[in-house]
This record gives sequence, C-alpha cells and structure tokens, in this order.
Amino acid sequence: MSGDDLALLDLSELADRIADGRATSVQTTEACLARIEAWQPRTNAFLRLDREGALKRARAMDAEIAAGKRRSKLHGVPMAHKDLYYRRGELSTAGSAIRRDWRAPFTATVLKRLDAAGAVELGFVNMAEFAAGPTGHNVHFGHCRNPWDGARVTGGSSSGSGAAVAARMVYGSLGSDTGGSIRLPASACGVVGIKATYGRVSRYGAAARSWSLDHVGPLTRTARDNARMLAVVAGHDPDDSTTSEKPVPDYEALLEGGMSGLTIGLALPHALVPVDAQVAAAVEAAADTLGRLGAHITKATLLDFTALYRAAEVIVKSEAAAMHRSWMEKQPQDYANQVRTRMEAGFFIPATQYIDALRLRAHFVREFLATAMDGVDAVLLPAIPFPLPTIEETDTEKSGGPATLAMVARFTGLTRPFNTLGLPALSVPCGFDGNGAPIGLQLVGRAFEEALLYRIAHAYQGATNHHRKVPA
Amino acid sequence: MDDRTRVAAGIAEQLQGLKYDQKRLAEIAAEVAVLNESVRQAASSRLVYDDEPAAFASLMERGGK
Repeated sequence: MSGDDLALLDLSELADRIADGRATSVQTTEACLARIEAWQPRTNAFLRLDREGALKRARAMDAEIAAGKRRSKLHGVPMAHKDLYYRRGELSTAGSAIRRDWRAPFTATVLKRLDAAGAVELGFVNMAEFAAGPTGHNVHFGHCRNPWDGARVTGGSSSGSGAAVAARMVYGSLGSDTGGSIRLPASACGVVGIKATYGRVSRYGAAARSWSLDHVGPLTRTARDNARMLAVVAGHDPDDSTTSEKPVPDYEALLEGGMSGLTIGLALPHALVPVDAQVAAAVEAAADTLGRLGAHITKATLLDFTALYRAAEVIVKSEAAAMHRSWMEKQPQDYANQVRTRMEAGFFIPATQYIDALRLRAHFVREFLATAMDGVDAVLLPAIPFPLPTIEETDTEKSGGPATLAMVARFTGLTRPFNTLGLPALSVPCGFDGNGAPIGLQLVGRAFEEALLYRIAHAYQGATNHHRKVPA
Repeated sequence: MDDRTRVAAGIAEQLQGLKYDQKRLAEIAAEVAVLNESVRQAASSRLVYDDEPAAFASLMERGGK
C-alpha cells in the first residue's frame, strides 16, 4: 500500500492495520508527513510540526507492537491538535501574538490520555486567536484555508483541526468548542466533530475561552473514528472539577444499534435563523436517508434561541474580560481588533446579570427537553445555515462593516445555543453546496447520550458517501 | 453624550480603571444594554430565590431529569 493510500484510510481501519502488522506507525507517520508537505502551503493548517519527535514516537510504538503490547485502539495513530492544549515545557500559542513564545507549565489531561493510549503527536494546528472567531481567520499566524477551496473559510475556531483532518494530514485532532468551534470547522471542512456533554471531557490544560461554556472534543473523518477518540479522552478528571464521574461507555461497541425504534426531530428553524435552501435541502435529504434506514422522522419545534444566545454572550464576555484583563490593559495592541472588541463589553456587564445567565441554564435545558426533545431521541438541524463564504467576505479586520459582522455572527446561530444547554451535539458531513464546499448537519441529544448520536451518524455514513470524498 | 454612554463612561473610569473614547463607549453601552435586557427579561419570568448556578451541573448529571 502506498503512503498516500495509507493516509487516506480512516483512523479506525489504520489503527487496526497497525495492530495486526499490516502497517507500521512509522509508515503511517511518514505518510502523514508527506500529506502535510503537500497540503500545508495550501491550507496553513499547521503552526508547528515536530517531524523528528513524531517519528521517534512512532518507532517506539512499533517496538511495543512487535513486543506484543497494544496500548489502546489509538496505538500508533498520528494526530495533531489545536494549539491551545498545554504540553509541559512546549509552546502553546492559543493562536495569539500574546502567547507566541509562551511555554506551558503542565500537560493537558486529554494529551496525557492520548499519550497513554499510544497516539503519535505530529504537532499543533492553527486556530482563531484565543478561540474567539467562527471563521478561521488569524492575523498573527495567517488565515487557515479550506482544503476544498482555498478562498473559503475553514470555520473556527478549531480551523487547523478541520483542515488537517479533511486534507488527510492527520487521522484525528482535538478541537475545543465554546460557541461552535468544533462543529463549525467540522461542517465547513466535511469532517465529523463532537461537542460532547459539558463535563464529559476534561478542560484542564486547554487554554480557556469561557470556563462555563468550553467543551473539548475530537474532529475525525468518520463517526466511528470520533467515537474511538472520544472514548479515550473522556471521563472524570480530578484536575477539572466540572467533569462527571459517570463511566465512559464503549461508544464504538454501541455503533451498530441501527435506526429502528428511534425518533428523530427535524428542525429547520427559518424563523429563528434563516436557513439557505441548499443547506435545508441537504439536511432534509439526510432526514429522508435516516427515515429509509428505519428511523421515524418528525418535526421538532425549537423555541426562540434569542435569550439562550444572549445568555451565552453574557457568560463568554464576562469570563473572557476577567481572564484577559491584564493583557487588555497592558498590551491591547497585541490583539486583533475583532478579538479585543468582542471582549470589552464584559467589563460593563453587572455581576448580577452574569450570575443570572448562569442560573438560567438549568431552566433553558428543561425547556429544550420539554419542547424540541419531547418524544424524540435526537434533534437534526444544520450546523452552518448558509453556503460557506469566502475569507474575504468575512474578514472583519479588513471590513468591519455591519454586513460583514452580521454574516460572521450568523455562523454560530445554530451552534452556540447548545453550549449554553451543555447538551451533546455532533456535526456530520451531509453534502456539498453549489460552490463545492461541504455542508454539515448537527445531531443534538440528551445529556451524556453521545453513544446515540454516534449510532445515528454511523448508520447515516453507512448509507452515504459524503465523508468518503477527499479534497483534491 | 447620552445617559447610557455616560453611565458606561463612569463604569469604565470609576469602577474598572479603563479608558475608551466616546464613540467606543456608545457602542459598548448599546451592546451591553441589549444583553442585559435579554437576561433580565429571561430571568424575571423564570428565576426564583432557590435557583443557583450549580443546578445546571446537577441537571446534566441527572440526564436532564
């Protein structure tokens, strides 16, 4: 099998080949390095690449396989992660000029878990500055470019994660999601991304955007790959008191349950957020497919998201202003304008409003479960409600006009509410728009029901081939 | 300077020790007014004395029940 063929395999298939000796971690890492060499100039997905470190690690993982030791189902698999995860003594920029030379004092829990699982780390990938931006723009390290069309946005803030997985430079990548930052690049780049339930994955050692709304999760090529990766990084962490002690299911073992007996609520909430006809058609076609597979499709009615969305804004701005205060006072010029200005309102929000926004979350969850989720197992809706715009069209640094700002704000219209709700939400490729850019659907479930979302996505991917298409 | 912007200027200088020009203060004041009003309205019809932020985590843990 050629290096390129190896790079095009799914994570799960590749890992199984490493386990039974049909491939080695070194061959695989070299295949990824070749893809990175070819795709980095077109995408700017990587901020740092540790070629020698990755090959050294791959050799060690191969030696363990030769000695009969397989650490996990990720043993020997090359990955690269959003550049906000800390690894002790190593750079971690958070996509910012402020932390351009900053080295982490400890290692993130999720990286420790991937290390223990035998994953190979190729480096760290591009992102929006301090995870504050839904498009993939970055004035400090250069914009990340969509592998499907270099003129178009990748989605953000986990821009490099989406681009690197889509271009088959890596098999999986950890992103983070405060308002859609995993699901938006997953949708825009044609890959799978999950924002699991709040508390399912440790945030310890992930540079924060908003402690209350940040979610850590993987981007991969398939639902199976995503299930495999989440199972490794999820679970209680004493270093993150917000993590749950609930046991982590074997998500992969639960993939084959099929659609029979499931009810899925389709939501195309035009009244809340205008949904483009192409996007609506792709999501409706996905619902039809799930219906043919045995699911009962019904209409889900979403309540007005406005209060939910604005509560999230209050929380994000308040927390971000608090954590950035020192830098905003001493070196405001080191932020991109749109990053700094989005946080400034946080200094003016009364503490009572911030606390009330937090107190409202439980009410919002109950209301969502009693309405949209009433009688359904999952809600199906678009991730990004319009065809993917260009980098130029969404460049708020160059054009901070109302039309540009409005377009950028619309990115998170259907994703941010689920950060307020804390419920699991999975983005899955479901087609391509008229420009050839990917369209993604979103599946939302009840708390800690990630396994069900994976089961639906896996069935869908078994019947479709959107996720099999590779950017040329 | 309108009343809302004057209040924002007071918060910036007297409470937060921050300086912004009048145009920016007016923008921030308008933005914050919308956010605060939205939360205040949502809270007025929902929140009671015993609601606390940690109820969210408990609700998640119970699967929303």
